[in-house]
Amino acid sequence: MKASSKKTLKHALLFSLSVFLGLAYTGSIDTASAAQKAKSTDAAQKSDKEAASSTSTVPKLDPSDPTSVIYLDTSGKPAGVGDPNRPPSVAYQAGKGWHPAALSVAGLPKDRYGLIDWAKLVREKLIKPRFSLDPNDEEMEPLQMDILIPAKGDYVNDVIYPHEMHTYWLKCEVCHPKIFIPAKGQNNMTMVGIVQGQWCGRCHGKVSFPLTDCNRCHVSPKKKAAGN
Amino acid sequence: MYKYISIALLLAFSMPAAAANVAKEIKLDSKVASMHKAGVGPVIFPHALHEKTYKCNDCHPKIFKDKHGDNDISMKKNMDGQYCGSPNCHNSQKAFALFNCSKCHTEVTGKPK
Repeated sequence: MKASSKKTLKHALLFSLSVFLGLAYTGSIDTASAAQKAKSTDAAQKSDKEAASSTSTVPKLDPSDPTSVIYLDTSGKPAGVGDPNRPPSVAYQAGKGWHPAALSVAGLPKDRYGLIDWAKLVREKLIKPRFSLDPNDEEMEPLQMDILIPAKGDYVNDVIYPHEMHTYWLKCEVCHPKIFIPAKGQNNMTMVGIVQGQWCGRCHGKVSFPLTDCNRCHVSPKKKAAGN
Repeated sequence: MYKYISIALLLAFSMPAAAANVAKEIKLDSKVASMHKAGVGPVIFPHALHEKTYKCNDCHPKIFKDKHGDNDISMKKNMDGQYCGSPNCHNSQKAFALFNCSKCHTEVTGKPK
């Protein structure tokens, strides 16, 4: 009786040992394979990363440079690969101009509404536009002449109109005498009319900066406006 | 017990009444002479419209004092970022801009009176 019980215990111990060893063995295999898998995926990821880093070069944003990635598609993604021999898209073929989406990433100075501040661009001499498309046109120096335009309401700062920035872009005839009578005080301007597209509103809000930032034009303090 | 019920009932009935009390349109015409010079009329402030989006304490008492007539609102102050032109309001991209005269002013003719 005693011997048989000892025997069964021995068997049980042996069996459990074999089970344990077997488990350990298979487990070790499993972990090894997992490690191998992890290693391989790591390698794959690494190679992916390397590939990505090799393909993504620092984007050039110069339209005069043929290797520039300035040519973006409509969703704003670069459509050009920078190789002028391989026209990548319709946008590329259509023209080599500045693309609006490219402009937005070009790091140009912006106003607080996120719009490109062209006046600042000119003042900081970041761009040098051609005076005229006609090479025979004589260049005209910007006119240094500020006009104080009193605001109609008592509680609004007066406007200082700078001829300088406007004559940088435009000829006199663009505005005078059709939009503005060239005599001080003769243009009975109102903000209501401007919003409806008269006077300054002929351009501002359409091709020039919009009317959102009041204080960009209403700069000259009025007594009543300041005094409360 | 009855006391609590009566208080609850009172609250339930008084709350919509209070809401209705503030949800009226406010006419802003203290500077009407100046407005007329610029060819616009008084402002009608739609309180109910603002209540749809904002809670009372989004504006009161920080931006606007509660009492009608206590706020010396002017276009100049709006432009400078106070009152209607506060940084998250009509001087930002979150709401229509200040130059839309006819959105707030009545009698927008553009012809100075």
